[in-house]
Amino acid sequence: MLRTTLAGLRLHRSRYVTTVLAILLGVMFVSGTMVFADTLEASYEKSVMGSATSVDAIAVPAGKEPGSAAEPEDPVPFTDEQLDRVRELPEVAEAGGTLRGQAVLLDSEGRASGFAPPAALALGEVSRFSADEGALPSGGDEIALATSTAEQNGFAVGDTVTVLDPEEDKREFTVTGLVNFGVDPNYSYTGALVFDRATAREMTGVSDYAEIDVLAAEGRTDEEAAEAVAAELGDGAEVRTGEAFGLEMAENSGGNTEMLRIALLLFAFIAMFVAGIVIYNTFAILIAQRQRELALLRCVGARRGQVFRSVLAESAVVGLVASALGVLAGVGIGMAGAAFGGPLLGTGSSVAVVIAPPAILVGLAVGTVVTVASALVPATRATRVSPLAALRTSATAAGLEKGTGWVRVVLGLLAFAVSAALVTLTQVSGPTQMGPVVVTGAALVAFVGVVVLGPLLVRGIVRVVGVPLRRMGVPSMLAVDNSVRSPRRAATAMIALTVGATLITGYSVVSASVESTMTRMLEEEFPVDYEISSQLAMDGNGTGGGTGEEADGAEEAPAEGEPAPEEAGDAPSESSDGSADEPEAEAAAAPGPPRQPALPDEVRADLESRSVLDAVIGFRSRYVQDEDGALLYPVYTYSGAEIGVDITSDLVEGDLTEVGPGRAAVAEGYADGAGVGDTLTIPLGDGQELSLEIVAVVEDMQNLSGVTVDEEDFTEAFPEADGDEALFVRAAEGADAAEVREAVYTAVDDHPTLQVMSVAEIKNQFNEMMDIAFYTIAAMLGLAIIIAVFGISNTMALSVLERTRESALLRALGLARGQLRRMLSMEAVLLCLIGAGIGIVLGVVFGWAAGDATLPDMVFSVPVGQIALFIALAVVAGLLAAVLPARRAAATSITGALASE
Amino acid sequence: MTESPVKPNPAVAPPPVVVARGLTKTYDTGDSQVHALAGVDVEFHRGAFTAIMGPSGSGKSTLMHCLAGLDVPTSGTVHLGRTQITGLRDAELTLLRRDRIGFIFQSFNLLPMLTAEQNILLPSQIARRGIDKARFDHIIDVVGLRDRLHHLPAKLSGGQQQRVAVARALLNAPEVVYADEPTGNLDSRSGTEVLRFLRDSARDLNQTVVMVTHDPVAASYADRVVFLRDGRLVDEVAEPTAELVSARLLKLEEG
Repeated sequence: MLRTTLAGLRLHRSRYVTTVLAILLGVMFVSGTMVFADTLEASYEKSVMGSATSVDAIAVPAGKEPGSAAEPEDPVPFTDEQLDRVRELPEVAEAGGTLRGQAVLLDSEGRASGFAPPAALALGEVSRFSADEGALPSGGDEIALATSTAEQNGFAVGDTVTVLDPEEDKREFTVTGLVNFGVDPNYSYTGALVFDRATAREMTGVSDYAEIDVLAAEGRTDEEAAEAVAAELGDGAEVRTGEAFGLEMAENSGGNTEMLRIALLLFAFIAMFVAGIVIYNTFAILIAQRQRELALLRCVGARRGQVFRSVLAESAVVGLVASALGVLAGVGIGMAGAAFGGPLLGTGSSVAVVIAPPAILVGLAVGTVVTVASALVPATRATRVSPLAALRTSATAAGLEKGTGWVRVVLGLLAFAVSAALVTLTQVSGPTQMGPVVVTGAALVAFVGVVVLGPLLVRGIVRVVGVPLRRMGVPSMLAVDNSVRSPRRAATAMIALTVGATLITGYSVVSASVESTMTRMLEEEFPVDYEISSQLAMDGNGTGGGTGEEADGAEEAPAEGEPAPEEAGDAPSESSDGSADEPEAEAAAAPGPPRQPALPDEVRADLESRSVLDAVIGFRSRYVQDEDGALLYPVYTYSGAEIGVDITSDLVEGDLTEVGPGRAAVAEGYADGAGVGDTLTIPLGDGQELSLEIVAVVEDMQNLSGVTVDEEDFTEAFPEADGDEALFVRAAEGADAAEVREAVYTAVDDHPTLQVMSVAEIKNQFNEMMDIAFYTIAAMLGLAIIIAVFGISNTMALSVLERTRESALLRALGLARGQLRRMLSMEAVLLCLIGAGIGIVLGVVFGWAAGDATLPDMVFSVPVGQIALFIALAVVAGLLAAVLPARRAAATSITGALASE
Repeated sequence: MTESPVKPNPAVAPPPVVVARGLTKTYDTGDSQVHALAGVDVEFHRGAFTAIMGPSGSGKSTLMHCLAGLDVPTSGTVHLGRTQITGLRDAELTLLRRDRIGFIFQSFNLLPMLTAEQNILLPSQIARRGIDKARFDHIIDVVGLRDRLHHLPAKLSGGQQQRVAVARALLNAPEVVYADEPTGNLDSRSGTEVLRFLRDSARDLNQTVVMVTHDPVAASYADRVVFLRDGRLVDEVAEPTAELVSARLLKLEEG
């Protein structure tokens, strides 16, 4: 029996080409992802381990380990005496302390570089870091930069750079070297500047050590050295061997690789799913075409089980061969990915490609299992072929399939109903965290509905679009008729495409809606052109941005991505000094993001004096706390702005223009059931309260969140908060953009640490980011779409094979070769368009539903251009899918086809 | 050749619609060459119903394919009217078939997804030709398909299907209709019907019909029968009867 199977496979090799390609592509994705992620991980590990293992033991102030939840109290850095005591330990040969603070680096434009200043440090005589290029600084006018900092700002060894000292005086340094800090979270996000020790102390005001690196004495193991150091430093220190430290850091950074791996595998899963559909359809068609062959087998005595096993064996062979090829291709792709993608993702050092056994085994297993599983149903169908079928003259399914059963219709409609109910549910309940999950569920249910109703949908749609197509000539008329000859086959082929089309459309709808929602908030509700704020006083914000958001729930930064909410009671001065060494601990311990120092008043005065500027709005915020220091709600004020005019927001009730002394606006989430006319009280600290009348309740997560009060009330409630945290500047109508820019930059000229952000730039950056995300996702989904197109091509090829005689008849009756090709192209295009069309409809509906379930007051926006592009691509895909089948059909000799039964 | 060269039937004498001269067709089968046609000269006249007969492998289907422009002969010429069709390119042959030739095949004559009417109109539609409504009605009535026009082929009997094919072939009044074993798959009653239509159309509509068959009864409906053996025209009979044809055939197979 196996021999028959293999002989059949050899005979029909060409029919499996596209199936093999479909499996191959899916497996390639899986294996490629694994090789890529493994290599990336190894490379991370190497870069981290490489630096950490260059020393034998590493001591850091307790609570500092990267990524872990730190203790609430600030770790205390090591002193000179502690370092000296460590040096004197018999287990220690040498030890060096790393001094770490922050300093502001000016970019080539003379403005502070980065959202937060880079770490400024001095490396000890013993350190896990060394210069990768050039040399470490050895004098007061020398500096080494982190490679990332140098790259970001376009600095190189030999350049002169300007750094601000704690008094904000400019000092110039010559770059002597570059240091690769790898994935160490203390440096990877903010970058770093390296000075000699004396200069570092001058530049940061820090004199203690954030880390002590130790070399073990001769004859002592790393562990002995680490233990001795730990005993010496006591509770205030965490000491690990270099290797343990490196492993831990590698593990933490490995988390990023894991995320990437999971995300890629998700797309690989989608691709495999689509490949499964394609395989199923191929086997189903092959079984239908081979009815006589199978019946003949039954006639000569093959049992049902044997027929079943023969089909499965066939699928297993196909799956295994294709998977093996896929694994090979995957290793290649993984290598290419690591070679080109690795540097982009910041893997410091290059390592050899890691081809771990799981990458190969998983690829092989996934491909084979998916293939065999997809062939199960067709194999079962094969067993139902009666031996009599061998004797019938026309056994191939040249005729039409039976109509769609009512069970199918009911099931399909039921699925749609359930899906609609779920979407309605999310609409009624408003945006919740579960919203997107429910919408995803609804989309899956609707997809099941499409699968069940697929044949009916194909027939229905073809009937409608067929009306004009039929008039276009015989090829299109025949194409319309052909496309509904096997609605089930057509439906399966197109559904493979629907998967990709739905996902990509859904994403593009969400993306476009987010963009337009943001545009509305920026342009209509809070139209400003520039925002000025100070550079964050501490790092950690780039990494731990989430902590701030989680802490205040429905909080959102006004107007753009730079978060401005504050935690109360945290004196601004505190964050600008020594505690800066412990960003993780600080970020985790403090309930909100770090405070921004107040802006100098003269900047505001300068801006207000400019005629090209129409409005200058000062922003201040504080958190109201209860007696235990727990945060209750944020209070905001916008001085110089007319609430309800300059800044608006969607209202639940009330009137924003009423906001003024004694009258406040509250976001619904903080209103706690209170409404317009109710009274809000803010504790004044000394037991007194400030009572405000609520005049407006605004919707959550908009420009105005928390409690918005008049400047007068704010000053009374928080007398200590007397400076603006941010200034929003709006240009006068018709003002020249260059003049506005000039005015803004002139105002901040004396204050290089102030960050000026143009809202247009922010928008551009945001749009660019969204675009990059879109293209990335589109590329990932592209493979699933290509596989689906292979499937359609395969369906076409098998149909053409089935219709060889028909094609010959048409040719005999005078249909030109070109017309025959056009007929098949049209059929494939029709299939692709239906598949893509259904996908686009699903994508738009569920993209809207998902967006609406997540974003309040989403501005629903359909990316018409992109969707038109998808449709155009579907047409192209159809044309491509038909190329080979059509060529084959047109090339077949008429007499040969007519003669062969 | 046992008889003198082809004698035109005086009733339908000039002009010949199809003329083949020195047709040969050779297939290479690796080691040896097979001469499917070994020099055939034949003419078919307007309004004549001719049957081509011969034992299996005599080359009758190949001859028809070459005459109809479906296949290209190795040497020799075929003229349809004034057009020499040998040497035409595929695109020209396609147009020629579409506009000037009708076909009826043994089986699989109809496209399964088109109704009887659509099948009949198909060649006209491919050619974007107007339809002669009167002729259509006449033909439909002659073949008796009036109440079957909107049926799919699967719902028609074998005889009905062949009648649809006949109607399609006749609709355009092509210069010649080629029928390849048109009754091969039919029971005798249906076969008789189809043959009558072919004969009647030749007589009434002055339609030239060339039919390949191996059935002497079918051949007896023709005005003339030409016999083929080993790729050569070996005999012909005018006004044949089934008995006469059978006898000649038997003689051929023996000889």
